[in-house]
Amino acid sequence: MLSQRLLLGRTAVRSALKPSGSPIALASRWSRTYASQSEEKDLVIIGGGVAGYVAAIKAGQEGMKVACIEKRGTLGGTCLNVGCIPSKSLLNNSHLYHQILHDTKHRGIEVGDVKLNLQQLMKAKETSVTGLTKGVEFLLKKNGVEYIKGTGSFQDEHTVKVELNDGGETSVTGKNILIATGSEVTPFPGLTIDEQTVISSTGAIALEKVPEKLVVIGGGIIGLEMASVWSRLGSKVTVVEYLDQIGGPGMDTEVAKGIQKILKKQGITFKTGTKVLSGEKTGDEVKVQTEAAKGGKEETLDADVVLVAIGRRPYTGGLGLENIGLELDERGRVIIDAEYRTKIPHIRCVGDATFGPMLAHKAEEEAVAVVEYIKKGYGHVNYGCIPSVMYTFPEVAWVGQSEQDLKKADIPYRVGTFPFSANSRAKTNLDTEGFVKILADPETDRLLGIHIIGPNAGEMIAEGTLALEYGASSEDIARTCHAHPTLSEAFKEAAMATHAKAIHF
Amino acid sequence: MASFAAACRVSARLATRRLQQDVTVKSFRTSAAALAAQNFTMPALSPTMTEGNIASWKIKEGEKFQAGDVLLEIETDKATMDVEAQEDGIMMKIMHGDGSKSVQVGTRIAVVAEEGDDISALEIPADEVSAQPTKAAEAPDTYTPAPPNPSEPAEPPKSDSTPKAAVKPGHKTTHRTYPLYPSVEHLLKVNGLDKSEAKKITPTGPNGRLLKGDVLAYLGKIKADIPAKIESRFEKQSHLDLSNIKVAAAKPAPVGKSAKEAAPAPPPAPVKATVTLPVSLSAVLQAQKKINDSLGIFLPISTFIARATDLANDELPVPKGYQPTADELFNQVLGLDKAHSGAKVSRGAYVPQVGSLTPKGAVLPRPTAAPAKKKDIFDILAASPSPKPKATASKLSPGLSAVGPNVFSLQVPRDEEKRAKIFLERVKLVLENEPGRLVL
Repeated sequence: MLSQRLLLGRTAVRSALKPSGSPIALASRWSRTYASQSEEKDLVIIGGGVAGYVAAIKAGQEGMKVACIEKRGTLGGTCLNVGCIPSKSLLNNSHLYHQILHDTKHRGIEVGDVKLNLQQLMKAKETSVTGLTKGVEFLLKKNGVEYIKGTGSFQDEHTVKVELNDGGETSVTGKNILIATGSEVTPFPGLTIDEQTVISSTGAIALEKVPEKLVVIGGGIIGLEMASVWSRLGSKVTVVEYLDQIGGPGMDTEVAKGIQKILKKQGITFKTGTKVLSGEKTGDEVKVQTEAAKGGKEETLDADVVLVAIGRRPYTGGLGLENIGLELDERGRVIIDAEYRTKIPHIRCVGDATFGPMLAHKAEEEAVAVVEYIKKGYGHVNYGCIPSVMYTFPEVAWVGQSEQDLKKADIPYRVGTFPFSANSRAKTNLDTEGFVKILADPETDRLLGIHIIGPNAGEMIAEGTLALEYGASSEDIARTCHAHPTLSEAFKEAAMATHAKAIHF
Repeated sequence: MASFAAACRVSARLATRRLQQDVTVKSFRTSAAALAAQNFTMPALSPTMTEGNIASWKIKEGEKFQAGDVLLEIETDKATMDVEAQEDGIMMKIMHGDGSKSVQVGTRIAVVAEEGDDISALEIPADEVSAQPTKAAEAPDTYTPAPPNPSEPAEPPKSDSTPKAAVKPGHKTTHRTYPLYPSVEHLLKVNGLDKSEAKKITPTGPNGRLLKGDVLAYLGKIKADIPAKIESRFEKQSHLDLSNIKVAAAKPAPVGKSAKEAAPAPPPAPVKATVTLPVSLSAVLQAQKKINDSLGIFLPISTFIARATDLANDELPVPKGYQPTADELFNQVLGLDKAHSGAKVSRGAYVPQVGSLTPKGAVLPRPTAAPAKKKDIFDILAASPSPKPKATASKLSPGLSAVGPNVFSLQVPRDEEKRAKIFLERVKLVLENEPGRLVL
């Protein structure tokens, strides 16, 4: 009773306060958003993507004063906003749709009228993305990182000028500066990306309707994932790849052939060893001219939408590198040494903007290492042990060297494989496509590479990565107990097949 | 003992490559002095290195060093390399000074002590490794050589002064505390080797881990040099290939320590400030009387002040050093805080101290020792009563003056001065204008 009355009283008085409200007015005048000139930071990070935000959090945890500059308006960079995360949402849900449409019937589940609601599919994606980017923002706040929304550029070696997204300008100075500006889509010469008919991966996760015919230029991981999404949702998809194998140069040839066969069965058309000559937009259609990479045999492909997925390139535009005399290599990468230092030692660079594979988890590792270099003088990333995953169905994952790598380097090896068709869990799941392939030294049995096609290969590769990091032999894996019945038993059996013989095959 | 192995580890940086080497020293002496002082031997900076010249010591005798500090520079036929300390310590004695030529790998070059040791009180441990190189096969019986290793002529032959010391011809530590790999354990058992035998095998795995291949090489089942060859291949792969950069750009000189940041000094404790404001309670007395007359309820002045305090504490601008709670942070990120208020605000926990103005005007408000304090989870769980109303009620009556102006005061950290002032102004506004609404 009393508390209720108190509450009423409070509301009443507050309304009474407001008109006369000198305290309130004072309050709003007193709190400003950004101080125009703040004190010198220990670390200023340009870029709030995976490399940038991880470095910011790590540095905050190490007790450094940190500012993180990001112009997108949301943190997480390409990965969280228009890359890994939204594409995984679409891949997961489109797989579910496709499965209900084509696969559940013979499992004994009959579903009535199955309809695609693309808007809702996109909304589910947005929800995931928003939740994660906000989560990152929360983590920056929690670790005391000043998050500046704007475009940063070097004014001098210690000062970064920021054009704020909300208008106005500020500048931050830092004892150390980290370039973590990431990468952008490599455009295809002659095809202007408008994100409507000629799209990049960014447009491919936000199409408003399912295109009837989709041509994907580039059969790498991004191209194949997007091809999978739209093919499942009903597009007629053609993938044009210049090389003779899909999956990019890092994928094991045997694996690439295997997944190509599986994806072809799912309805994707492949044109490998094929060069795209030009593209022409006519109204709502695009005509793509191709010819065989080795010459001859021209062909024209019609498409409603063309996806350009030929790779990504480092993004350092507008960074004002010329103001401080920093140079890039011929492919636009920021030149660094083994401790990520540019030639100006307190300016460092990690992630896609510099050397190494353009992977979020590689950037994340580097971000931690670079902060450790700054703070403790030593950091570590094992570049020989970075896994790659392609989230098609089934997934493809690998770590270490591929068979063609070893052949090329004249390194002897032994192969052990085990098909999921001989794995009990895969059998019960009725998902038996794919195999585990393990490459090991023929004499010492030390693991050299692990390649998997199979359901949940992306999770399974973690075991291989751990084994490789520890210098394990295939026997070490084989002598480690794996639960039954699980897909991971296929991993163990492949290890047995490498140094001895598999039991179940 | 584990810390010894670590203390004696050095790492070398050769251009962009980083090789980790473990110095093959081990003391099994039990005296305290021997436990603290350790021999530091010439490290093998590459698998093929047999000897090197000491260019210069960067740490002088008696100086302290920290993990990562460059201890010395070593010249080999190939390059000059820095040797970094893996752990903090003190340089006790340097045996081979600057400019020493052709120092064999494994030769004692210095003695180091652990950080905090009084080096004058420590004895220098015996040199466990004879400086005289002998062929591995000719080593004393107490020392079991690994199979001859043609690719690593570098491996310095050593003999042992203490029977139990396990000195390896390899360059990796032999002190392993982690469990053996299943394959290794299996091989040892199958071949009738004791687990202690494992210590004699040269490991080539990451961080000196013993691998199946090492045991196979030890048993002579595969060529002895194969594990090391594979290891060097892995070592190369573990780094970014920066060897072939196309645009010529001068490499920055290693900055070493200069790149290290000194730990930021802890922020100075905020200085307290006292904020005071005279408030007339005549309106409150009037309202009190009115309520008593009309409703027959006597409300103490403390009730009025408590409610004014409660109200004024609402939505105060945040102080500069304010640490928001996780919930507040998340609401800020989600934009929920902006939905109900544009400015950055938070609820205060101020309790004003009330004193009466004596006719002479000499104001001596007693400051409370309760500045705005962040409530933590324990306070909430323990449901310790909110200090505001109680403290106010119990303390204010003695100093209260019914006629003259009273002084409300607050003692707060310096950077909260403004926040406290706003709070007091609100209290004043409410108490002087419409105190009746506080209770009705």
